[in-house]
Order: sequence, then structure tokens, then C-alpha cells
Amino acid sequence: MTRREKARAYAKERGFVVYEAHDLLHIELPLADFREAMAAFKEMGFNYLADVIGIDYLEYPEEKPERFAVVYELVSLPGYKDGDGSRIYPRVWVPEKNPRLPSVTDLWPSANFPEREVFDLFGLVFEGHPDLRKILTPDDYEGHPLRKDHPLGETPTLFKDGRYINPEQFRAGLKGKDKGLTGWRGGRRKGERR
Amino acid sequence: MKPEPKELRVEEMILNMGPQHPSTHGVLRLVVTLYGEEVADVVPHIGYLHTGFEKVMENRTYHQNITFTPRMDYLHSFAHDLAYALSVEKLLGAEVPERARVIRVILNELSRIASHLIFVATGLLDLGAMTPYFYAFRERETILDLFEWVTGQRFHHNYIRIGGLKEDLPEEFVPELEKFLATFDHRVDDYQNLFVGSPIFEGRARGVGVVPPEVAIAHGLTGGSLRASGVNYDVRKAYPYCGYETYDFEVPLGKNGDTWDRMVIRLEEMRQSARIVRQALERLEPGPIRDPNPQFSFPDKKLLDRSMEALIYHFKLATEGFEVPPGEAYVPTESARGELGYYIVADGGSLPYRVKVRTPSFFNLQSLPHAARGHFFQDLVAILASFDPVLGDVDR
Repeated sequence: MTRREKARAYAKERGFVVYEAHDLLHIELPLADFREAMAAFKEMGFNYLADVIGIDYLEYPEEKPERFAVVYELVSLPGYKDGDGSRIYPRVWVPEKNPRLPSVTDLWPSANFPEREVFDLFGLVFEGHPDLRKILTPDDYEGHPLRKDHPLGETPTLFKDGRYINPEQFRAGLKGKDKGLTGWRGGRRKGERR
Repeated sequence: MKPEPKELRVEEMILNMGPQHPSTHGVLRLVVTLYGEEVADVVPHIGYLHTGFEKVMENRTYHQNITFTPRMDYLHSFAHDLAYALSVEKLLGAEVPERARVIRVILNELSRIASHLIFVATGLLDLGAMTPYFYAFRERETILDLFEWVTGQRFHHNYIRIGGLKEDLPEEFVPELEKFLATFDHRVDDYQNLFVGSPIFEGRARGVGVVPPEVAIAHGLTGGSLRASGVNYDVRKAYPYCGYETYDFEVPLGKNGDTWDRMVIRLEEMRQSARIVRQALERLEPGPIRDPNPQFSFPDKKLLDRSMEALIYHFKLATEGFEVPPGEAYVPTESARGELGYYIVADGGSLPYRVKVRTPSFFNLQSLPHAARGHFFQDLVAILASFDPVLGDVDR
């Protein structure tokens, strides 16, 4: 029985949502059981945390339980001791009103930088993180750029013939929300009507 | 009367190294706490090269994003193109033809060799060895010329398309590559003779900056730096992609996890990469280079002035892009620095909803303080070089 199957059995037993898509095993953990489940995965032999991924589902066409999700990528590293190469993707939903979740840096110290990144770019606070500072954006930068409501911040362009491109309107055109200045239909979001 | 010898008084000093320092390989700022000459702690401050690629990629179509991917890791840029394309292809269920996969392997390994050459060259330059720099750049120049031939660009190739490649190899490419491969192993031996075994290099690198395997794994080290600690983890073997499982190559492993191992292991990796390229060249059969599905695959350029349908498809793909079914995909790949992957969330539209790049340098940098503590300040330069960070890859 590989660790992946073990993790799946554990999640089924605890009643978590488990699904598989594109060869990835996703496990949705409730915020209350999050720490306990992650410690159990570590105990199971997932010795390597490959990534911490923040996602903002604000504009996602499908309804999601909460606005933010943090996806962890856990690996039982092949080539080290009895690692079998299993990978699982536990995720935890974080509410918009109180964006706090416990840190896992004590279980996997490699979560240090990526949790700081999620804190910096999404504004989610990891409780218990030893050194929660901004990491990528400048210290005087306000806002969390990877949130969907953060503007892209392009400079307006004035052309010689007096034509003026307002980036916000231009982007809306690309996303298909608005015809935009160019009239280009642009990339279409599913579920958007025009 | 002789004065009594007093105990040397040492006090803590905080030294700022970088962001513009020749040995930081980019814009990395290290705040170093020193006791005399000894490093007590290192705190990396990153973000000086943060360009917000992930945000920009959410606002461009899937094909437009291939312009951004190589700009993150400008030394092994082909790996970023490939990792991005693999994740999107997974979401689409695209089938890449055999010839395209073989060409991808050839170019990926060539790019890896070019990156390792820079690593050896600049790493030794930091230790004061000038000569290998010029020799390594000679070989790298040959590789970049080959890339220019195939893709039209030396650095940011923009050669991969979702479902295949932009165009086929030029006729003269294979003979020129064979010419390069004929002398390459011999050249690697030359580099090895230039520094391995030299008493200065032994003194600067042996036993310096040791990272034990358990520390390396706990702090997220991957790639050659992890293999130097003796952990046999190579994504090409563990999670094969592009048919790497069918190639016969070895994964060189280190024993001690010190700077010496991290430097020397890359020489052997170059030899193995050349071995893969040789095997791939034998498999190069004529055939299609793109998935024939017109929904996401560009039509052949030659057809555009003859076929109305091809022109319409080309126009639609270039302006609107293609729609990717909703889902989330991640394909791990092995870049010259370690595990690299794109976690892509698709919402069904023609722009990715979220792109997260798992860049190896970002994670590798977390092990630096553990390697550098207790060593002299001048060793910090050598240790940093041996981790092979690319700051574009760190900051994205």
C-alpha cells in the first residue's frame, strides 16, 4: 500500500472531501482539523513539502466554499530512506473575513519561504510562523498583488494621434467583460455573458 | 618586560552583502552576522527582481504566456518553457508526437549543459579562478549558436508551443550538433583537470558548507545540490516526462554534501546530458511536430498563404487563444537547479486562472544559512555559488 493510498484511506475515514483529477490527489481539509491532518500526513512519511500555493477564487465561475484556498504539495521523497514518490495535494479553505490559518513550518521547515510568499501576495496570515515578513514585494508596497481585486497597475498610454488607452478598460476588454477600446473579444471567461 | 597576551576580543558585527555584489549572481542581499571572520547567521533578503510574472500570466492567453516563462530562469530557460507546456498539455489532454518529444529532450539537455557551464565558470570565478570561465564560455557560445539556429533566439527561445513545437529543426542542425558532441566529453575532462585536485580548490571546497541529507530535505533542497548530499532524487527518473524513462543515463550522487560535491557533481551531469542527447539523436525520425488537433495547435506556417481554413484557425488562436477545460494540473520537471513545475488552475476560459511556479532556486536558498553557519566569511561566497541560484528564478 503506497503512502498515497494510505493518505486517501485516512482522509476517507475522517470524512474529508477527496478527489482525483489530472493524476493529482486532492484532499480538502476543514480549517479546524487542518493541523491534526497535516501532522498525520507527516507521520505517514510525507517528509518533503514541495510547495505552498495560494489561490484566490473570487472570480472563479464555479461556486467555492470560501474565497481563498491554500494548497500544499506533499511528497514522500523517492531516493531517501523508504520514500515511494507519493504526492498528495491537501488544501484548506480560508475565509475572506478572517484570513488566518496555522503554519506548518514546525512540521516542514521548507514551508518558511513559501508561506511568507502567500502572506505577501495574498495577505493570509500564518499563525505560528517564526518570521512572517514580506518577501517579494517592497516594504512600502501596499496591498496583495495576487488577489483578484488588485489592479494590474499599468501605465496609461497616450498615442501621438491623441488616442488614449486606459489600461483598466483595455484589460477588461481582454477578459471579455467589456468590449474594450480595441474591440478585440479577447480571452473568454467561462460563464461570462456578453 | 613582555606584556601579557590578552585574549582576542571578538564582537558581533552585522554586514550587508549585496544586493549589488559580484558574487551574489544577481540581486540578492544577504545580511550576515559575523563573529570576527566566522559567519554566525545569514538571512537572505530577496525580491529585488520580483516582476510579478504570476499576476501578468493570469491576464494573457496560454500561448502568450510562453513569452514570460523563459525570462524567469534565463540560464536554463528551456526547462521553464517545457514545464509550462507540460502542465497545459495535461489539462488539455494533448498528445505530443514522438519527434517533438525527442527534440524537446535534445534542446532541454543542451540548455542544461549551457546552464551548468555557467555554473562551473562563475562558481570558480568567485573562488578566484579566471581560466575556466573563458573555456566554459567557449562551449556555451557553441550551444547558444545552435539554439539561435533552431529557435532564432539565444536566450529566450520561445520555441515550444502547446502540443508540440514552433517549427522543425533546420537541416544543418544535426551535423553541427554531432560536431559539438564529438569534442564535448573531452572538453569536460579539460575543465575537470583545471580545478579538481588543485590544492587551492580542495582547501576552499572540501568539508565546507556541508548539508546533511535530512537538513536538505527538511529545507526543501532539490536538484544537483540535493544529490550532492547523497539523496537519489532526480525528477527525470522519479516522475519521467517527455519519455526520459526510455533513455539510458545515470544520476551522479555525492557523498558528503559539501561545496566540493556540489561543484563536481555538475561536471558528471554534463556528461550524462551529452549522453542523453546522443541517444536522442539516434531516435530522431521524420514525423509531425505538433498535435494535429486544430483546436489548440497552430497550423503549419506554409499553409497560411494557401489554405483559408488554416488562416482562420491561426487568427483565432493568435487573438482569442483556446479554451482549456476547468481543472488543476502540475507536472514536476527537472531543471538544472532542481524540481520545477507549474501549478495551473484553469477556469474554462482562454486565460489561466492562476499560475504558480514552483521554482527550485527559491526553495534552495532556504538551505544556505544552514550550510554557511560556522564557516569563514570568504567561504560563504563559495557556498552560495555552489547552490547555483538564479535570482530571476528566485524572485519571478
